[in-house]
Amino acid sequence: MAIPQRFLTRVGGGALGWLQAWGRLLAFGARALVQTFTPAAYNSATRSVVLKQIYFTAWQILPGFLLFAALLSYVIIQIVVTTARAYGLSDFALEVSVRVVVLETLPLLTVLFIALRSGAAINTEVALMNINNEIRALEDAGVDPMRFEFTPRVIGGAISVYALTLLSCILALVLAYVAVYGFQLWSVGDFSRVIAKIFTPTAFLTLTLKSLLFGLAVTLIPIRAGLEAPRMLFFAPIAVLRGMVRLFFVIMFIEVASLALVYM
Amino acid sequence: MIWVADAAERRALIDSLPEAALVADDLPLRANLSVLENIAIVPQYRQNLSYQDAADQAWALLARLGQTDCALKRDPALTCVERFVAKLLRAVILQPPIILIDRPALLLPDIHYPPFLETTLQALAGDCEDCRILDYAWNAPLYAPR
Repeated sequence: MAIPQRFLTRVGGGALGWLQAWGRLLAFGARALVQTFTPAAYNSATRSVVLKQIYFTAWQILPGFLLFAALLSYVIIQIVVTTARAYGLSDFALEVSVRVVVLETLPLLTVLFIALRSGAAINTEVALMNINNEIRALEDAGVDPMRFEFTPRVIGGAISVYALTLLSCILALVLAYVAVYGFQLWSVGDFSRVIAKIFTPTAFLTLTLKSLLFGLAVTLIPIRAGLEAPRMLFFAPIAVLRGMVRLFFVIMFIEVASLALVYM
Repeated sequence: MIWVADAAERRALIDSLPEAALVADDLPLRANLSVLENIAIVPQYRQNLSYQDAADQAWALLARLGQTDCALKRDPALTCVERFVAKLLRAVILQPPIILIDRPALLLPDIHYPPFLETTLQALAGDCEDCRILDYAWNAPLYAPR
């Protein structure tokens, strides 16, 4: 075979494999979403997995995460406020800091934190379940792994990301108020007007949608990557690596798309 | 008892009994669940029972085999006997028409398994009416003559 032909075959094969992997991921996501909105899919077993997922993903890290989010938010807000004052732009300090911290930094930071912590753990666990044949064992015992293991994790993960984002954003708003107006309540009216100006229906919807998409990505992609691992133990790290890289690109894609939606 | 001559025959036999619940070395327990949860998950999921009711059922079965000590252990902490019991009860609680124990020598490598299997299955009489043991023909001398 001529060299260009071999090259094209290889590139074509790679592209096809890439497209197929994304197609399987989308099909898997669609199945999980359908089950999420099917009341019959819920029973005590699935509810228990959802609760466990929320516990491990959100509740367990809550104090540490909020402390970290508060510190980072306060530092960024202070930088923005100080810089704005230095340039005589104090009137815009609150708006700019809320836009930077609440709308952009915190949702991204939350999902990256959960991707590193829970996404990697889910990816590894599912890859090992797949390699050790635990998924087939569940099916053999009459338990649907999609309904019992995977969909509840997706639901729990999405709820966790959304809840952590919401909590850290509320905390950041309080810190922004303190940074700009100090420890007094007389400026709540001014503060509310600025916040209402920032949180237009489009901005609020984009933030909500972005957080939910982040939540779906942070569980769906690691689960699917784990399921794609060939049944050999040495493929477990490769499955995690692929899942995490794919997750990173999807998170960045969602972030850039949301920025484009709001600011372009 | 079902004696088979080789892996192909064994595979064909398992395939011919799709209604059977299989107890096999290559069907492990869920590693992040305890023995009790591994057994209880079946009625919890299939019969929509609450965890408490499902766990009560699982506990009663473990008690019949005198294995309640392992109820809260997870797979890596189990002895081969405890692991086998957990797998067997996961199949028993499903109440399938047939339970097929595949190559018990693989499941119970450290004990003289034929008498253990007999005692265990006698203790579960009533819950597993049709329990078949699938073993290679060369292991036949290990079993007591009937």
